[in-house]
Amino acid sequence: MNAYIALTRTYLLLTLRDRAALFFSFVMPLMFFFLFSQMMHAERGTAVLVVNMVLTIAILATGLFGAGLRATTDRETNILRRFKVAPISPAPILVASFVVGIFNFLPVFVVVLVLSNLLYGMPIPRNLLSLAAFAFVGLLAFRAIGMMVASVANSMQEANILIQCLYLPMLFLSGATIPLSIMPEWVQSVGQFLPATHLFSGMQSIIVTGESLAHNLTAFFALVLTLLVGAFIGIKLFRWEKEERLPASAKLWVLGVLAPFVLIGMYQARSKENVARNKMFDRELSRREVLLVHNTRIFTGDGTVIEHGAVLVRDGKIAEVYSGQSPTAKDLKATDIDGAGKTLLPGLIDVHVHLGAPGGVYEKPEDYRAESTLKHALAAYLYSGVMAVKSVGDATAAVLDERAKIQSGVQLGAELFVSGPMFTAEGGHGTEYLKADWMKQLPENARKMMTDDFVRTPKTPAEARDQVDALSKRGVDAIKAIMEAGGPGQLFNRMDASILNAIVEAAHAHKLPVSVHTGSPQDISDTLAARADSIEHGAMHQLISADLLDRIKSQGVFYDPTLAVFEGVMDFASGKTDLLERSLVQQVGPAKLIAGTTKFLKANAGKQPVFNLDFPNRNLLAAYQHGVTLVTGTDAGNMLVIHGPTVHREMQLWVKAGIPPSVALQSATWNAARLLHASDRIGLIKKGYEASFMLIDGDPTKDITATERISTMLFKGERIRRQGLFEDER
Amino acid sequence: MSENAISVRGLRKSYDQFEAVRGIDFEVASGEVFGLLGPNGAGKTTTVEILEGLRPRTGGEVAVLDHDPGIQVNELKQRIGVCLQATTLSDKLKVSEALALFASFYRRSVDRDALLKRLQLWDKRNTFYSKLSGGQKQRVALALALLNDPQLLFLDEPTTGLDPQVRLEIHSLIQELKDNRRTILLTTHYIEEAERLCDRVAIIDEGRIIAIGTPREIQARTLGQSRIELTASAPFPQSEMPALTGAVSPVFSSDGARLTVQSTAPGKTLAEIVKWMDHHALEIVDIHLQRPTLEDAFIELTGKKLRD
Repeated sequence: MNAYIALTRTYLLLTLRDRAALFFSFVMPLMFFFLFSQMMHAERGTAVLVVNMVLTIAILATGLFGAGLRATTDRETNILRRFKVAPISPAPILVASFVVGIFNFLPVFVVVLVLSNLLYGMPIPRNLLSLAAFAFVGLLAFRAIGMMVASVANSMQEANILIQCLYLPMLFLSGATIPLSIMPEWVQSVGQFLPATHLFSGMQSIIVTGESLAHNLTAFFALVLTLLVGAFIGIKLFRWEKEERLPASAKLWVLGVLAPFVLIGMYQARSKENVARNKMFDRELSRREVLLVHNTRIFTGDGTVIEHGAVLVRDGKIAEVYSGQSPTAKDLKATDIDGAGKTLLPGLIDVHVHLGAPGGVYEKPEDYRAESTLKHALAAYLYSGVMAVKSVGDATAAVLDERAKIQSGVQLGAELFVSGPMFTAEGGHGTEYLKADWMKQLPENARKMMTDDFVRTPKTPAEARDQVDALSKRGVDAIKAIMEAGGPGQLFNRMDASILNAIVEAAHAHKLPVSVHTGSPQDISDTLAARADSIEHGAMHQLISADLLDRIKSQGVFYDPTLAVFEGVMDFASGKTDLLERSLVQQVGPAKLIAGTTKFLKANAGKQPVFNLDFPNRNLLAAYQHGVTLVTGTDAGNMLVIHGPTVHREMQLWVKAGIPPSVALQSATWNAARLLHASDRIGLIKKGYEASFMLIDGDPTKDITATERISTMLFKGERIRRQGLFEDER
Repeated sequence: MSENAISVRGLRKSYDQFEAVRGIDFEVASGEVFGLLGPNGAGKTTTVEILEGLRPRTGGEVAVLDHDPGIQVNELKQRIGVCLQATTLSDKLKVSEALALFASFYRRSVDRDALLKRLQLWDKRNTFYSKLSGGQKQRVALALALLNDPQLLFLDEPTTGLDPQVRLEIHSLIQELKDNRRTILLTTHYIEEAERLCDRVAIIDEGRIIAIGTPREIQARTLGQSRIELTASAPFPQSEMPALTGAVSPVFSSDGARLTVQSTAPGKTLAEIVKWMDHHALEIVDIHLQRPTLEDAFIELTGKKLRD
């Protein structure tokens, strides 16, 4: 035991007396810290990344150079030779090297965390113990790799070459200096073979997303394995003198130390899980920028307007809303966004969309790609400033998958709320799609997904309850039901009111809001009787009576008029292409979809529409006048309602129908958030709410079309580069 | 414990094709200073390193302090002290720290302060190893070798590369150890070192021992003769020179006053010359007797010089 202590003490003394070692162990990491902090504006939220980069670089340096070169030097200058004639084994030398590594790294670890906290306001990581355990195991693993290199290298030159061969790729391909996500995917896959990559992303996950060791067990155990194998090889191949030759076969041991990472790398090359994970971390980081939008008009969402104010964003949330004069961006160490002449308003919400439907027709059916259409639609919404949408009838499994991707940050798009399959009657509205021609063109698995997961047709209240329970288990956010008997030319079976009652009851037991598609006052009446949460569409061919409107109002049920879809149906019937020519639609709509639809519409050109907006408009205005709470839904995915700037058009139609712009805006933000049961975090510009908002040119409370003139957009704190949203589409 | 600190029988060591040691035998008694003398590459260091347990042997039997160095190496290392041919320590290690470090490896160790004082390193105890002179470094190496109060000390060419003054210092240190009856195995290629310090010497060349014994015995075994040189107050009466016992080829200087003669029995020869000079009333102005050296013996035995 004495030898362990004495060697450790000696190695520590030697390190403290070695200027080069001090420089590389302590000074250089700090230089990197300040350099990166300045370059990356650590005070604006990137401190977590800087910390992680510096810690990784420090671990690489102390591990590879500290342990590897020292051990080689000691052997090559015959210092170890003197040890050999004393009664001592390699074990205390290795252990001393490990302890010295820890002592070298500990100050860097502490100082970097403390400095980033004091200077750049980075919170001390929640899982500090996990971080420490992970970082220090990483450090020891790298020291083991260093010792192993020393063991197999036959000269200083060889050791130098080997260490550089390990150091440089790990420096540049691990994410420690260049963000992995900006590299081509194959380079990222190569990076997955390097221990440093897993060290970096493990620490990243702990610091940035607050994960614990438990989330990083694979990387953790791979590092532990490297440590053990490295220590074993270090002892096994330990040489006290340069004259001792290493049998060539012994070099095969080296593979052992990297084996865990070769396996992980091979797995990752197939699964690409970590490639996605890196994207997520990057997203998480870009959501941490500290920003100040100042000198702007603020429409808060609940109808209040701050004529001159500012909003501070930190860690993805609204940290402060200032009315009147605000501190400067410099004082707040924030990125400065000038909002002069602009209006800040919460991200818009569409509570009624069908993501699987394209909103038009493709000339060639094969141009419709089931696998990419959801992704594109959500990106198109975000592009247009519609930052949350509720799917009210899609293949459930597919939208739940998509929701997970958006939630994790792997994919960028509007936040997705999912209603399960539509509840309807056998032969009721909704079931007709399954018999449509285009169903036959779907690939087998997509068709199966649709038939299994698109509608539910319970025959009894009990069956309905079971079905709602099952959907709740699958994690849906809401329930959608259809109460409509159809109209002239298209008759549907209508669901029994007792089944609707059972659905609502079961859904409310799970705290799920229920939206009900209605077509007539009777449908509305039954919906109110069932105490559902929203009325979708209202009545298309009749006026809703004052009495019914009062009941809607008194029950606090939301009214979603979906004027956009009626306009779409109308324009389609008369062959009008105006809706396809809207600027935002042109920007987000798939070109082949717009071209195909335009061509298709020519057949109808000049025909008289069979339907007009008269009843829907009058019902909406009456609802508003009765004080009914309104929300914006558009039924996007139906003909000519192309996913993207849907809510903008809906609000324009409302204003035409006589609704004040600020009421439309409130319906599209705060009211809609309430229907989604998300009004504690979205739909308002308020301290503590998610920083999902946009800055638009002009004043939408005077000119509702201003909402289409988006100048800057934040989504959960991330500044969205809008043209980049479709970059990876091909 | 047997009387011999070291016993070697038929020791052989090969490196690939090269036979470094080709079957050697010798014993080192307890308390003896034993020298292995031979030119560079003779197999001295290989032999010593096998005895120290640093290298495995190819064949033969070896016992060091009753241990087989190929097997009980750690136990053996506890009991021996080693001064390597060249010792290197970390530059930024202080003398006292180096001693403390190495002391930690042993079950027992001597009073380090006393050791430092004895080796005249006390003043240098806080000096970095890199700042020491060659002689000081060698004394540190000796100190490390003595730390565990070893029963047996290996000194592998302890003075090679040192200047003459320092060599003398080291010699007196070894002499002191010798006076304390410590068993020492010394390798050297300096004849005078072996002559001066060793109780017994083995001359080793090309992996074989070619002579073994006290330095005197080895010298005596040679055919070499002593040389006598006498200068008289007046020229010798050359014609009347008597037959001198054991003498070969007497030579007179040109002035006739100086006689040089080789002899295998220098004592007798000298007595007879002095008697002859007395007889002629010649006074001795100067006298010089040179015995045959170990080097002469070495050259005779090996046919080569020790240092080229």
